[in-house]
Amino acid sequence: MQALGPLILSWRSVLAPGIVALTAVVTMLVGSGLSEDESESVGWIALTGLVAAAIASLAASGDHIVTFGGSLIIDDYTAFFYLLIPVCSAVVVLFSFDYVAALGLPATEYYALLLFATTGMMLMAGAGDLIVMFLGLETMSISAYVMAAMAQRDPKSSEAGLKYFLLGAFSTGFLLYGIALLYGATGSIKLEAVAQMVRKHSIALSPFVLLGLGLILVGFGFKVAAAPFHVWTPDAYEGAPTSVTALMAVGIKLGAFAGFIRVLLIYLAPLHAQWSGVLWALAALSMTVGNLAALAQENIKRMLAYSAIAHAGYILVGMTAGRSEVGPALLYYLLGYAFANLGAFAVLVAVEQAQQSGTKLDDLSGLARNHPMLAAAMALFMLSLMGMPPLAGFVGKFYIFSVALESRYVWLVIIATLNSVVSAYYYARVIVAMYMREGAERQAQTRQPTLLFALAVAALATVIIGLLPHPYISASSAAYASAEQVLRPATAALQTK
Amino acid sequence: MPLGIFAFFATLAVISALGVILQRSPVHSLLALIVTLLCVAALMIGLDALAVGLLQAIVYVGAIVVLFLFVIWLLNLERDPEESGRLGIKLLAAVGAAALVGELTAFLTRTHMSQQTVNSDYGSMAQLAGLIFGNYLIAFEVTSLLLLVAVVGVVAVARRWPSPRLANRPPTLSAKPQT
Amino acid sequence: MIVEFPALNLLLLMPAIGVAFNLFFGYRLGRSAVNTVSVGVVAIAFALSVWATVKLATMPPGSCLQAQLGPWIYAGPLRLDVLLRFDALAAVMSLVVSGVGCLIHIYSCGYMGEDPDFARYFAYMNLFTFSMLLLVLAGNLLLMFVGWEGVGLCSYLLIAFWYDNPLFAFNGRKAFVVNRIGDVGFLLGIFVLFSAFASHGLWTLDFAEMRERAGLISPAIATIACLLLFFGATGKSAQIPLYVWLPDAMVGPTPVSALIHAATMVTAGVYVVARLNFLFALSPSTMEAVATIGTVTAFFAATIALAQSDIKRVLAYSTISQIGYMFLGAGVGAFGAAIFHVVTHAFFKALLFLGAGSVIHALGGEQDMNRMGGLRRRMPLTHAAMLAGTLAISAVPGFSGFFSKDEILQAAYTSGHKTLWLIAVVTAGLTGLYMFRLFFLTFYGKPRLSEERFAEVHEPPFVMAMPLVVLAALSVFGGLIGLPEGVLWGNQIGAFLAPITGRVSAAPAQAVMLLSAITSGVTFIGIILALIGYVVIPTLPERLAAWAQGLYRLLWSKYYVDELYDFLITRPVLFLSSAILGRNVDSLAIDAVVDGTGEAVQGGATAVRRVETGNVQHYVLIYLGGVLLIVGYYLLSALRH
Repeated sequence: MQALGPLILSWRSVLAPGIVALTAVVTMLVGSGLSEDESESVGWIALTGLVAAAIASLAASGDHIVTFGGSLIIDDYTAFFYLLIPVCSAVVVLFSFDYVAALGLPATEYYALLLFATTGMMLMAGAGDLIVMFLGLETMSISAYVMAAMAQRDPKSSEAGLKYFLLGAFSTGFLLYGIALLYGATGSIKLEAVAQMVRKHSIALSPFVLLGLGLILVGFGFKVAAAPFHVWTPDAYEGAPTSVTALMAVGIKLGAFAGFIRVLLIYLAPLHAQWSGVLWALAALSMTVGNLAALAQENIKRMLAYSAIAHAGYILVGMTAGRSEVGPALLYYLLGYAFANLGAFAVLVAVEQAQQSGTKLDDLSGLARNHPMLAAAMALFMLSLMGMPPLAGFVGKFYIFSVALESRYVWLVIIATLNSVVSAYYYARVIVAMYMREGAERQAQTRQPTLLFALAVAALATVIIGLLPHPYISASSAAYASAEQVLRPATAALQTK
Repeated sequence: MPLGIFAFFATLAVISALGVILQRSPVHSLLALIVTLLCVAALMIGLDALAVGLLQAIVYVGAIVVLFLFVIWLLNLERDPEESGRLGIKLLAAVGAAALVGELTAFLTRTHMSQQTVNSDYGSMAQLAGLIFGNYLIAFEVTSLLLLVAVVGVVAVARRWPSPRLANRPPTLSAKPQT
Repeated sequence: MIVEFPALNLLLLMPAIGVAFNLFFGYRLGRSAVNTVSVGVVAIAFALSVWATVKLATMPPGSCLQAQLGPWIYAGPLRLDVLLRFDALAAVMSLVVSGVGCLIHIYSCGYMGEDPDFARYFAYMNLFTFSMLLLVLAGNLLLMFVGWEGVGLCSYLLIAFWYDNPLFAFNGRKAFVVNRIGDVGFLLGIFVLFSAFASHGLWTLDFAEMRERAGLISPAIATIACLLLFFGATGKSAQIPLYVWLPDAMVGPTPVSALIHAATMVTAGVYVVARLNFLFALSPSTMEAVATIGTVTAFFAATIALAQSDIKRVLAYSTISQIGYMFLGAGVGAFGAAIFHVVTHAFFKALLFLGAGSVIHALGGEQDMNRMGGLRRRMPLTHAAMLAGTLAISAVPGFSGFFSKDEILQAAYTSGHKTLWLIAVVTAGLTGLYMFRLFFLTFYGKPRLSEERFAEVHEPPFVMAMPLVVLAALSVFGGLIGLPEGVLWGNQIGAFLAPITGRVSAAPAQAVMLLSAITSGVTFIGIILALIGYVVIPTLPERLAAWAQGLYRLLWSKYYVDELYDFLITRPVLFLSSAILGRNVDSLAIDAVVDGTGEAVQGGATAVRRVETGNVQHYVLIYLGGVLLIVGYYLLSALRH
């Protein structure tokens, strides 16, 4: 096996995920001694842990260092996701407090699993070898399967969890097989060593590598919900409790894309010619299927599921381009996507509770009259997802598409732009329902400071990231550049000065 | 490893694996699974990977499959599950699976296996320990985390939650009462 | 010369302040506060525009004022700032937007005086003014696109302002979606330009830089980019093929129609073409396309206008027709003339809409001209104002529309586009015909209104009358800023715009006279026909309609374009979505479980059983299909090596 330098055991790489994992254990210990009515305090513990982890993410920033024999990587890319993922989970916790109680979910297990899932996502972002990446993915997935099935009173929740689990297990098989093949071909499971090996022409084009690559694409394709591996998404999103859906739509996507982008764009970049065609097809299919199917949805959670598929397609457009300019664009896009989605689901949670209704489009009718602030926030998130300037969604889309066009993927960009037009229709439908339709008079009010706080965070982020994108783009650029350091030999780094 | 021994265990492994999915009774499936796992363990030992082979036998056959058996008893699944799925789907699935097998076979026959000699301590306990607590420390630790998640998850799904605060509510969603 | 002029920031932000005020305090502080603030901010913006224009006028030609609101997108080599630039073109446009906008805001205080939703209305109106000013002042293409989308959004919100009516809400959505279709073209055009410049190492979308380095762009790329951008422009400016939304947009409040769907927003497409004239100049074929589409639209819309009976719809089609003229001007290279027509059109079309609004207001919401007539006696002021507007739009010599339209027609003739010129002249006759038809039907003849309702008809209150008077004056005298060359002070606005839009060589004086005479003659024929048909022999039109029944029905039904689009585009997409993706893929998979919507109290076991009976198997099959394809793809590529 190739030597990768001394074995660096660094606390910096494990601090943030470690805090989250430890908090999960603490939640379980504390939670077991609490009665149902006190279960809210478990949420506060989880929140504290997530905030601490977000702060601790600073420890992981800096120049690219490989620690634990290649298992975990310290760089700004890791730090970017170590910060973003706990923040997103924290927002989910913020709007979960009353919702968990109202749905009768077991609070201790809910928060513990949420934290475990967060740990898994963060490990995917920081992973430097395929085993840790796989374990991170499984940690986050298994937590999510269970959380989706948690609302025991609702048969659809069990159904969602079971479907998600069955298909997830199916796809895990492919991913693992792909990793094994790549290991067999290159003799290493460490990404850096794999990257060095695939640089050699003879190995890069060996059938083992190609098959391994294909199966890895399948596995990741499932996790990011790219068509045709998206089939589980609508059911799982619809059936799961809404706060869990938010975690699935945001956290899991973040973790999966963090790993996917790092593996493919950075370490398997030499194979670009081999994977770009498949990604092209996945991107085109995801956008088209996602947007067209979303048109016909009457349930907003289902619609957002298809919208998530479409957005995965947009991100894949950028990944297809595969140039290093696109890296920052992808990270920036994820940033905007995360907060707009978190916000949308937060609104749905609020609506479910305030109106004691479901999440059908009709349930939002007249929301502008009954809850003007909720409606305004929802409109904002829909406009951002639609890609309306100057919100974050627009800048991200513009950024990705222009780099893709720059890389001569003209048709893909045309498909993408046409799709984003189609998407305007179903996002606008939500706005129309809220503002231009009369709903039943409902006087129940939401007075949940945490939920409102979560909404405010998401709304502010959506506006600020779009209006003043500069600091966020430079953060994304720095993050991606530091992850790319691994590619450049020392001399090349000097030349770029 | 002599070819004959390999052929024997490999064939047995495939046949018993087929048995796992073709058996009607879950218990029979499980027994077939045990045979498969043991065959694979034997193959590993035949490849001089003694530690892995033994671990396979102990952990999978000894622990996991027994756990499965408990689960089956607990869930009372001894009855044959009802015939499920339509014929068309089964046919499609069979075709799809066959196609996949075909593709994979075509792939593997294209591949030239490189011969590589390994050190004499390859697969030994000492080397394994060195790896687990060295280069793969994180992976090892995360695995334990994963198992913990699985345990918590099973408990969360399997336990019936008494919810006194919600006992009198209709099954649809409702807001939190003012306390 | 470039001068920093921070007041531009204030100019842009004034309406934004109005938006925030109206949204947060509007309903609390009451109607008069809302009126004062909304009008006030736009008036201040107008004053600032005047100040900036005066300052600009004293500087050497080709200079501009600029202000940087802040950094925007810095991505790698791309640096885009929120940069506002006030050059001659921006000056003209911002004067129109804030000036006419201010008058319409004042008018709205009266028109919306009874509406309970006044704060929302004025918030949208201010937001529109903000977006439009952003569009006009933007220093780079992407920032302009922000304004572009902003005005589209406001248009949608205002069309559907009275959303209780499902038709209105639907029309709003129609406008939005049609505009978004145009936006694809626009956005793709931006991408193409961006990547074309970037491939030469120039990462910019800044207008000044692009103008300087336009030589880098090959004609082929310029053609693609300009065609895409022009497609976007046809969406916003309601030209063929995307004009269908504008007539339906008339369901919004009439001041909205005046401001957004006549005076300002719909001319944004013309503005974009004029702003990017250096690119369009690179591609003669695109210019031809622009001119042709403009002319055909002008003619086509004018014919439809002949047969409409809703007063606002006639005005809507006349707007489409007039914008067609502007594109004709731009397409033959007379960008300055096109912008001049934007200005005069803003005056007389705003006037016509506000006049029509007064009539509608006085008649309690009646828009059908067949139920008007004889209003001249009850509304002399409105009648006079409308007459000024009608004369101006018909391009009767001496009135503002005459000068701008004439300049366009002459440019078309002298540049050799004789066929287009001929169609445009015929259209001028049609314009006189349908505009005076509207005018006579409304104000002359016997009142077709019931006695008591006719007696209630009254002149508008002062706040509504004042803007009418001002706009009438502008419609009459506004053309004086652009007299033909050699007459008195000549073409002032053309000279002012020349550093940006360039100038076309003028025809010899005799030819000018002759061409003007022909156009005016045709116009007068149209007016006389209207006089005969609607005043002298009022039964004539009906007999004509009966005689040419097929043609009349074709015009009345607007050439069935809406039906065609519905059949060709809307239905297939909906079918694909709901029938194939929605019904089959979706319900094949989830079936009754979803439709049961949680009423299903069957317990988890049922759900699990249902899952086992097939659904997940379908999923796995789809999934397996994907795997097969991907593995097959790699198998093939492995076989190749």
